[in-house]
Amino acid sequence: MGRLRQKGKAGAAKAYVTRTSAIKKLQCSLADFRRLCILKGIFPREPRSRKKANKGSSAPTSFYYAKDIAYLAHEPVLKKLREHKAFAKKLSRALGRGEWGDAKNLEDNKPVYRLDHIIKERYPTFIDAVRDIDDALCMVFLFASLPSNARLPASLTENCARLAAEWQLYVMHTRSLRKTFLSIKGIYYQAEIMDQTVTWLVPYQFTQNIPADVDVRVMLTFLELYQTLLGFVFFKLYTDSGLIYPPPLDVKKDEGGAGVGAFSLQSTSRTAPAAPKAKAVEVDGRKISGKDVRQAIKTMTSADTEINSGDVDMQAAESNPMEVDEEFVPQQSTSDPQSASSLTTLKALEALPQSLTTALFSPYTFYLSRETSRSIFEFIVRSFGGRIGWPASSGSGSPFDESDDSITHVIIDRPLVERTDETAEERERRLRRKYVQPQWVVDCINAGKLLLEEPYAQGKTLPPHLSPFGEYEGAYDPTSLGSHVAEESESEDEDVELPEDEEEEQADGQVAEKSALRAAATASDAAALRAAELAAEVAGVDYGTFEKEVRKSRKKSKAPGQVDAEDAEQDMNKMMMSNKQKKLYERMKYSEKKKASERAVLEGKKQLLQKQKKREAKAG
Amino acid sequence: MAALDVKPKSKKRKEASRDEEPAPEAPAFSAPVESLEMLSDEEGPDESASDDGQVDEFPEIDAASDSEEDGSFGDEEDEEDSDGTDEEDFEEEDSDDSMDRDIFPKPKTIISDITGHPKRVYPEIEPDYDSDSSTEDTQNRVGNVPMHWYDDLPHVGTSAFDKTAQMDKPLSAEELDIIRRLYANEVPDAGYDPYEPMTEWFTGKGKEEIMPLSAAPEPKRRWVPSKWEKQKVMKIVRAIRQGRILPSKPKTASKLEFYSIWSEPSTSHAPPLPAPKPRLPTNSESYNPPEEYLPSEAERAEWEAMDPEDRERDYLPQKFPSLRLVPAYDRFIKERFNRQLDLYLAPRIQRVKLNIDPSTLIPKLPSPQSLKPFPNYKSLKFTHSGRARCLSISPDGAWVISGDESGIVSLWEVNVGREVKRWKFEGKIGALEWCPRLDVSYFVVGIEEALHFIIPPNLPSPVLALTQSLLAPTTLPPAPETPSPVKWVTPPTSSWSPDTAILTVHLPQSSGLPKQITWHRRGDYMATVSSGGTQGGVWMHQITRRHSQAPFKKIRGAVQLVLFHPLKPHFFVATQQYVRVYNLAEQKLLKTLTPGIKWISSMDVHPSGDHLIVGGYDRKLCWFDLELSDKPYKILRYDFPAFKYPSLPLNAKLLLPSYHTRAIRSLAFHPTYPLFASSSDDGAIQVFHSRVYNDLMTDPLIVPLKILRGHTVKEGLGVLQVKWCARQPWLVSGGADGTVGVWCS
Repeated sequence: MGRLRQKGKAGAAKAYVTRTSAIKKLQCSLADFRRLCILKGIFPREPRSRKKANKGSSAPTSFYYAKDIAYLAHEPVLKKLREHKAFAKKLSRALGRGEWGDAKNLEDNKPVYRLDHIIKERYPTFIDAVRDIDDALCMVFLFASLPSNARLPASLTENCARLAAEWQLYVMHTRSLRKTFLSIKGIYYQAEIMDQTVTWLVPYQFTQNIPADVDVRVMLTFLELYQTLLGFVFFKLYTDSGLIYPPPLDVKKDEGGAGVGAFSLQSTSRTAPAAPKAKAVEVDGRKISGKDVRQAIKTMTSADTEINSGDVDMQAAESNPMEVDEEFVPQQSTSDPQSASSLTTLKALEALPQSLTTALFSPYTFYLSRETSRSIFEFIVRSFGGRIGWPASSGSGSPFDESDDSITHVIIDRPLVERTDETAEERERRLRRKYVQPQWVVDCINAGKLLLEEPYAQGKTLPPHLSPFGEYEGAYDPTSLGSHVAEESESEDEDVELPEDEEEEQADGQVAEKSALRAAATASDAAALRAAELAAEVAGVDYGTFEKEVRKSRKKSKAPGQVDAEDAEQDMNKMMMSNKQKKLYERMKYSEKKKASERAVLEGKKQLLQKQKKREAKAG
Repeated sequence: MAALDVKPKSKKRKEASRDEEPAPEAPAFSAPVESLEMLSDEEGPDESASDDGQVDEFPEIDAASDSEEDGSFGDEEDEEDSDGTDEEDFEEEDSDDSMDRDIFPKPKTIISDITGHPKRVYPEIEPDYDSDSSTEDTQNRVGNVPMHWYDDLPHVGTSAFDKTAQMDKPLSAEELDIIRRLYANEVPDAGYDPYEPMTEWFTGKGKEEIMPLSAAPEPKRRWVPSKWEKQKVMKIVRAIRQGRILPSKPKTASKLEFYSIWSEPSTSHAPPLPAPKPRLPTNSESYNPPEEYLPSEAERAEWEAMDPEDRERDYLPQKFPSLRLVPAYDRFIKERFNRQLDLYLAPRIQRVKLNIDPSTLIPKLPSPQSLKPFPNYKSLKFTHSGRARCLSISPDGAWVISGDESGIVSLWEVNVGREVKRWKFEGKIGALEWCPRLDVSYFVVGIEEALHFIIPPNLPSPVLALTQSLLAPTTLPPAPETPSPVKWVTPPTSSWSPDTAILTVHLPQSSGLPKQITWHRRGDYMATVSSGGTQGGVWMHQITRRHSQAPFKKIRGAVQLVLFHPLKPHFFVATQQYVRVYNLAEQKLLKTLTPGIKWISSMDVHPSGDHLIVGGYDRKLCWFDLELSDKPYKILRYDFPAFKYPSLPLNAKLLLPSYHTRAIRSLAFHPTYPLFASSSDDGAIQVFHSRVYNDLMTDPLIVPLKILRGHTVKEGLGVLQVKWCARQPWLVSGGADGTVGVWCS
């Protein structure tokens, strides 16, 4: 006889613990437990059988892996949280007693936890970390735009804004932005970093208010982790591409609202003789731009000078002197021997033939009209190699002003207004430049090529803006459907119109005609068809109408009949499926039907709209 | 009065040595007090002598205020605080003189023994009732003021409520002064001087103490610096010098320095699975989507009426003519927050995504076309007036008898459906069955409490003679020893006619209608199941011996059906939920099959004898492999797909073609072809191919072939019985609509 097995000693009962027992075991408060779970990335699990895991009780609880909790018990952060609890008690006692000196001492020696070990644990390799920065970026961009208040200190907002700017600088520098989507929720960007697609959502530039039903503590805990994660990721990204991290911030420019331009990217591999050369460039370059901004631009343009040199002469002339200066030469770092290898890999990556799309805007110079969002379009245009300027009202640091001759495109979002007091110079300038709406920039990026400016011109009704991320397989595609639907609707239109004509022309022979058509519809064999045709002729139906009617009826009769015959056998076999298979089959069929119906609804709507438009066009 | 007097006596019980006994009052007491006195008698003499003076005082106290006190209350109290009362007794002596004084005690001025100065001494204030002077008659509450001042007031003079006396007590001027001083945080005594000049006793000029109090020498520690203290200080000093302790440590709120965290090799642990990424936006989320994505009014209303949790999308598509008009998304933070809640509160399960074509789930079975022949159309129809409840086909497969509920039994041909003969019986026909023997030809009709053996007309003469000799032998077999309640009756030879039965078996009284007649393969034994009666209504009849017996003395559950095993001497009995298999030769139970059906309605055994199908009123059919298990090998059941998606928005039909949607009424295996059929109250007959293999390794193959529809459902009843023609793949079915159909291949 085997050993007696006691209940609750093995299996699910042992492998899972409820949240309450986890808290009891860790001896911390629920809030601390939540904080730990967020930081360590521990989440509840769904046991196969809740009853077995909960020792026979079916009460609604959340379960955690017992091993996860055991692993939490040794967490240094938990220790620090406990210390913080003791500290809080001491501090409140000192404050209550009015011992201000003691309170100050305590405050100075406040226990602070570090999260770097957690980052290393959760993301053992750099790729893991890059794959998981989507949410972190979304949060950082959101908090960078939130107003600071008692719960959100200004330093937090500042740090988030700095991280957001660093990320944008890096993306612009490496030209890794791939797709952009203007949605009602905000702007989706997708970049490709280390072969990982990173998608993040940036809200439109409006003040956001934290709703009452949102727990800010949870968000701040996440943000804490995300800030650390992004710091380490950016450090690695910057150092790998030979840049200094953190990029130095020009306080004066930042105060002037320069945004991203307030940071300057500095190469670690810059050697001493390079410095005077850079200065020389500055001398013969444009005078308006400040040194830091220029540097940033230079480092960015340098990445793909090779590509630029071929196609556009103007850009090539500009970038040639910089080529020597800014080319990244792999050099042994004295402090970090590891970085050498990473540099070579980056070099290898860059040596790969880069598609032209990353340098899409490099021949062009853009100017932002004041009602367009500078932060969005500066980022997009510079990520694709374009130069961009903006009026002073959008912030300082514009490399050129509106009167610059190199401007090729003006991004404008205003309705078209006829100006009477236009000077000759202005008019000439206006004719030379192309005025496009902001959607043109985004659609060009998503299409991977320069689109015609004409449909996007100022004041025009824009073509629809579609998601570059695509939909599920077999979903409704608004672009491909156009011709097919048009054809079908045309024929239907004719059908609709025909009876009207008939009514007008021949009201008397209507009955006979209809019966003849009906005969044609029901006629199945050749002889009957022939008879029906004759009858139709007698009734005075023209041959085209007759043919159409026959085709239609064939289609109608064929469809259900065939399906029935085919289904019959299969349907019988379905009876022999096991219960599990039956359920699975039904689920799959259900989702198939659902998708099909969604598609059908959209197609139906499109047809209706097209018909309506046609009618309007005819009427108008 | 009495109560107060008891008090001292009970005290005596405890502290007999101290208390006094008022001797003259004792005789006036009641009986229980006297019995108490018995105890105190012994101590009486020496005590009465001790305190004479106090005895006189008691009457005075009595007269004052204590008459109000409740007697019983005093009784209880005195036992509790007998000690307290003792002390009071003593104090009473002191307060004697204060009793007759003024309202407020006057201080006396005496010369202090210690200081030699005069000091005022107040008499002690008695907190008890005796010290209360409120009972006395000097009631001047007003003072020296004109009385007309109080004309408009409800009271006269200042007064305070005295709780002990339950009446107002005026405060004297002195008391008021004390109260005023207490309010003003002063010393209550007006005469006390807090700033008296200090009296120097041991200090001051000429009073210094010169001599030390102790002669011990002063310890060394008073002037030598501590060694241990020095060591401790030096430890800290050394630490500071070496830099181990920073004298002014920098603030803890230093920023985290970022470093190359991924340069060291990572742990061997597999990284935790990354959280699933949120869904990427589709066209409908665009600020300028194609117009067909915009919701119609109805869709918008529906979306708004739904709970936010039920919505498939958390936004409604919108279209803006230009980017500058796009407002802030008001649910941005909420959505980020929900995402975070998902990340840390939602359980995650790794699911394998099935990327298969759903049609591959359908089992690959041979096409019905390749499994021909099977009945697939209705070749002819025979109509009864009532429900065609039972039918039977002759063993040669040429004739059908069908019986209805109005008592008519018709004999007709399978091929053309022509009625040859009709018999009329009284009451419903419960069951019909041809004898399976080929050398004789007769059938049995079961009506209320009787079985009629009938010979069909137009038989060849040898067959007729043999049948007649079998059913009505000239020499009756010997009667059994134990008389049976079943009577076998043959009418006299002269009255034989084709219209009447040649042999009638009268079942016992109140046995009801025979539900089923089943024959043994050889045609000598026949079993019937009646709806009522004892022994489960099961009777086994032997034709040659003209003898009937009940195989079961007692049987658990209501017997629904019985069957003979085609090859072995086994007997299947289906009760409401179980099928029991008995060995008739050994007379024991072999096994019990549990089909899991709530109520068994029908059963049939495969001609090979190894397989059994059982059908139930709960729309289930169970196939048993008798050599394999007591549990069904295959269950065909109707299931409710519509209930799985209650909120199915699609009007598309999702129902799978299922097994019978109503109760199963009848099952039948074909004797030679690999076919079986089931009929149901939904008016359909389903025909299955059922191939059974001889080797034990191969599972039987069941292929649904055809659903035959043609009977109409009448009063909730559909097809009541199906039977196969013995030599053709033809099916005969009797329905509740009164028609008997023949289905041909």
